[in-house]
Amino acid sequence: MNKIFIAATSKVAAADLPSARLGPRFARLDLQSQMALLAVESLGVDFQEFSPDRVAVCLAAKIGSLSTDVEFWNGRDGAGGPSPTLFAYTLPSAAIGEIAIRHKLTGPNLCFVDDDKILLSEAADLIQRGEADYCVCVSCAVVTAAAAELIQIPPETGACAVFLQRGEGLRELTEFDRDMKSLCANFCRPKISG
Amino acid sequence: MNISMNELKANIIESLRLQDITPEKIDDDAPLFGTGLGLDSIDALELVVMLERDYGIVIKDIAEGRPAFQSVRTLADFIAVKRPK
Repeated sequence: MNKIFIAATSKVAAADLPSARLGPRFARLDLQSQMALLAVESLGVDFQEFSPDRVAVCLAAKIGSLSTDVEFWNGRDGAGGPSPTLFAYTLPSAAIGEIAIRHKLTGPNLCFVDDDKILLSEAADLIQRGEADYCVCVSCAVVTAAAAELIQIPPETGACAVFLQRGEGLRELTEFDRDMKSLCANFCRPKISG
Repeated sequence: MNISMNELKANIIESLRLQDITPEKIDDDAPLFGTGLGLDSIDALELVVMLERDYGIVIKDIAEGRPAFQSVRTLADFIAVKRPK
């Protein structure tokens, strides 16, 4: 069984958004999809090097799509009703779709509505079972003020990403690698915009 | 009352959150969907919302909306005719 390696990591914050230029669709995405896309872009991985159906995408969305759900719901009393564009993102796994669209990936995917403590182990398992050769792991924590008030947790906006592959990389993934934020903070690549 | 083309284009850009596009870059007669501005079905829904919110126009059905959504010019003409006085 080949060992799984961490090939790239990234960490992005809300402050990175204004300078991001990730295609004409970017500004239309909800905040969570924007953060996820930016984290993946910041990995610096050229996905065209790989067969698209062999790249998996795994997402941990801390509170699912609740921030977008609340924004959509709050727009219902406005003239014209709630936003049709936002409606498309009232789904926890929407960011996976946006990542797949941008990078033309057609491999398997997983979405956890929770923090990321089992994300890396599940992603490694996908690769070990032969369902994918590579995996983009993204952890998003997008808790807007409105969502924070609803569920009584502190607001936050951030995302980090890890790219896993067999055989070689920055270092081997271990069973103790559970905290993606710390892992990405330790490796920290320069962010890429545009 | 006729609507200024630039004003309509600016409203489209804002309503659809189009990035890095200015009114000057939008051709009056270019298709809105497919080629031209390259809008999609979700954008069509947002334009329907924009018409109701900003111009007080409710589109009853696709037969009414389709000809209006061909280009910025056809949309402007539609607004000029349908906008409540």
